[in-house]
Amino acid sequence: MSSGFRAMHPAVGLLYYAGLLLFAALITHPLFLITELAGLILLLLLQGQGRQLLRGLPFYLLMAGSVAVLNPLFSHRGAHILFYLWDQPITLEAVLYGLIMMLVLLTIFLLFISYNYTVTTDKFMYAFAAAAPKTALLTLMAIRFVPLFQRRLREITLIQRFRGIDVGEGSLRKRMRDGMTLLKVLLTWSLEEALQTGDSMKARGYGIRRRSTYSIYKMDWLDKAVLLLLGLSGLIPLILWLQGYGAFEIYPRMKPLVFGSGEAVMYISFCLFVLIPPGLEGKEIWLWRSSRRKAYPSVTPEPNGTRSMSSPLR
Amino acid sequence: MGPSGGGKTTLLRQLKRELTPVGTGSGVIRYAGLPLAELPEERAAGEIGMVFQNPEAQIVMDTVWHELAFGMENLGLAPQVMRSRLAEMAGLFGLEPLLYKPVHELSGGQKQLLNLASVLLLQPKLLLLDEPTSQLDPVAAREFIQTLHRLNEEMSVTIIISEHRLEEVLPLADRVLLMESGMLKAACPPRELVSKASEGTFAAVQSYLPTAARLYLALPARGKSDTLTESIPLTVREGKRWLHNLASSAAGEPPGGNPAAAFGNNTAALPHKVDSTPLLSAREVTFRYEKEGREVLRKLSLSLHRGELLAILGGNGAGKSTLLHVLSGLAKPQRGKVELARGITAGFLAQNPLLYFSYDTALEELQHMAAFARLAPEEAASEISRLAEAFELQQVLQSHPHDLSGGQQQKLALAMVMLLKPAVLLLDEPTKGLDPDAKVRFAGLLRQLLEQGMSIAVVTHDVEFAARYASRCALLFDGSITAEGTPADFFSSNYFYTTAVNRMVRDILPQALTIEDVMTAWQGYAFRSSLL
Repeated sequence: MSSGFRAMHPAVGLLYYAGLLLFAALITHPLFLITELAGLILLLLLQGQGRQLLRGLPFYLLMAGSVAVLNPLFSHRGAHILFYLWDQPITLEAVLYGLIMMLVLLTIFLLFISYNYTVTTDKFMYAFAAAAPKTALLTLMAIRFVPLFQRRLREITLIQRFRGIDVGEGSLRKRMRDGMTLLKVLLTWSLEEALQTGDSMKARGYGIRRRSTYSIYKMDWLDKAVLLLLGLSGLIPLILWLQGYGAFEIYPRMKPLVFGSGEAVMYISFCLFVLIPPGLEGKEIWLWRSSRRKAYPSVTPEPNGTRSMSSPLR
Repeated sequence: MGPSGGGKTTLLRQLKRELTPVGTGSGVIRYAGLPLAELPEERAAGEIGMVFQNPEAQIVMDTVWHELAFGMENLGLAPQVMRSRLAEMAGLFGLEPLLYKPVHELSGGQKQLLNLASVLLLQPKLLLLDEPTSQLDPVAAREFIQTLHRLNEEMSVTIIISEHRLEEVLPLADRVLLMESGMLKAACPPRELVSKASEGTFAAVQSYLPTAARLYLALPARGKSDTLTESIPLTVREGKRWLHNLASSAAGEPPGGNPAAAFGNNTAALPHKVDSTPLLSAREVTFRYEKEGREVLRKLSLSLHRGELLAILGGNGAGKSTLLHVLSGLAKPQRGKVELARGITAGFLAQNPLLYFSYDTALEELQHMAAFARLAPEEAASEISRLAEAFELQQVLQSHPHDLSGGQQQKLALAMVMLLKPAVLLLDEPTKGLDPDAKVRFAGLLRQLLEQGMSIAVVTHDVEFAARYASRCALLFDGSITAEGTPADFFSSNYFYTTAVNRMVRDILPQALTIEDVMTAWQGYAFRSSLL
């Protein structure tokens, strides 16, 4: 099932997630990070990935939280010493830096959940194929072999158990030898088949001229518009950041956060960038909800209506 | 057509320039007036298409749409052209619902249709097919051949096909080439071949012919008027009409009476000295692959007695292979019990014999297996030579298992299983891909094993094989055995799922399943009719 942001051209998704990743790594301003995190959570919820998010959350929090805790314990840079722990100074800068890193990590984790859902492997390969068709073809063929080999190995293991070749029992030495035998069977069989695959490729004219690519994705005007909008709203914060706006310096000595007009422009543009995909998803949801209300008027009986004529009690 | 190893594949590969095997050759092959070697690359790839035997190995990409597009991408077609061709072909083959599926979720028949479709997208004028249906079950094979027929009729694509299963193909063919050990033995329309086959020199061809034609040749009561080649029956319908004509002209009255009484038992069936104690029995077995998965077997009960050949039939995905896995102990059922009589073992032969091989020569495979079975060296040697002789493997003991023919590979795997001295043998689709002669030889082998007191359960799609050789048939449907009985009872009550002979003669001889049955019954019938 795909709709909304997920149904768009792969280039849109790739641009969005690349942009988010870039911002998460570059702009360490807490406001920007929190906005990005909130935007991603909103997108995940709208995409119906709330359960996925909840399932992974303990792990992500543990990972990111441990960074926040460990950083002040190991890093003692900074000028404001809060207190001493086992004769080690704990500095305000290190605590803050740890917290910022936690936000960055969380953002990246959530980004990849959303990315995996939105940009599936074949979409990525499609975008990749435009740049390097031969490599993309090879990669696709190789990707196909992974599940294929797994299925074959399962079959081989089952049958070879009949001749006493079983990695599940015996001494370590025997197990290793049996494992190698199983792999050997798999390889011989697969190489044999690969010859036939090669024949079939050649028979269909592989390698006689430059390949063209068939695409199942078409770029429509909405894709183009969103792509343009994302590009513009992403470029503005990037340029401003290069000018030195929105910087948040912690080490060696924390500087106060500034939020001037430059930052305001940057933030508005950044918000636009982050919120376009959740907006698209939201619009989709609203569309379906309203169409459910309005569709098939003949089937839905009116609340007070035309049938009253048949009622003798009126 | 022709026996395995007759050079059919080599001939087809000579016609497809990209696949011409390395070797010395002489003579010229011309395609549309041009020598094949001088054809431009794109024409050679596009206009001559080829589909191979193994449905799985031909597939290059992982999704259906990508596989379809692969050939067109190779030829560098424009996206718009590809799109419209693909739309057309997906519609023709009904591939639309499958378009975004990963290839491994397709059945064998669907895979082979996909292979055909992806070749057809290059718009070939000549289609070469190398035993395309040998790995398919009968229903999928019939569907595949119907598609070929449509292509030939509606788009006038020239088709050259090599086949073992001629029941459906021969009636559709314009010309038949018979090949044997690299030589062209005959080239004529199919009916002419049938009439030639009656004359002795081509007698070996008989086993390749469709049932109707074989019945026509076998029945001695052919009238003089039937010598016209046009009236030789090839399909079930033609056979039925011909038989009815024959019956009414012989008897001078519609075939009524009770000819079935004239015919005794299933003469071709293997000896069945069936013992009542079951060697292997399954009681209310339930099996599923995953916790949330479908129940593949549901409260299935089945027993196998000493000295019988049980044929288990059933549609695709009915769980036939799973049943064998459970019976052989490779898979454990969640409920129910599989019991093997005391002190015996069960041997299992999987569909793909390649799974059994891991050494460099056939002899080594057997020796290692013997060592695993804990046979003493001299006993192992004698046992191996005995099996090699019985299975006709002496010539190939020194070759690599992967270099053997399909039939030989299967026999080697079976010989390996036999070294474990099992009392019960479970075979998964043993007749798949065998030519008719090999099938007869294989049945002979099974007969030998049965005479030695073994019990065999065969899972098969091959109705003709089951009808001819089984002592009991069972139908697996919806996870359990729904019908069971001797071949005569089992098949004569079926309308569609029965042998071609039975479909032809069921009005006259409802119990006849094989040509031999009809022969014996017919003599009695014709004799009685001539008295009246």
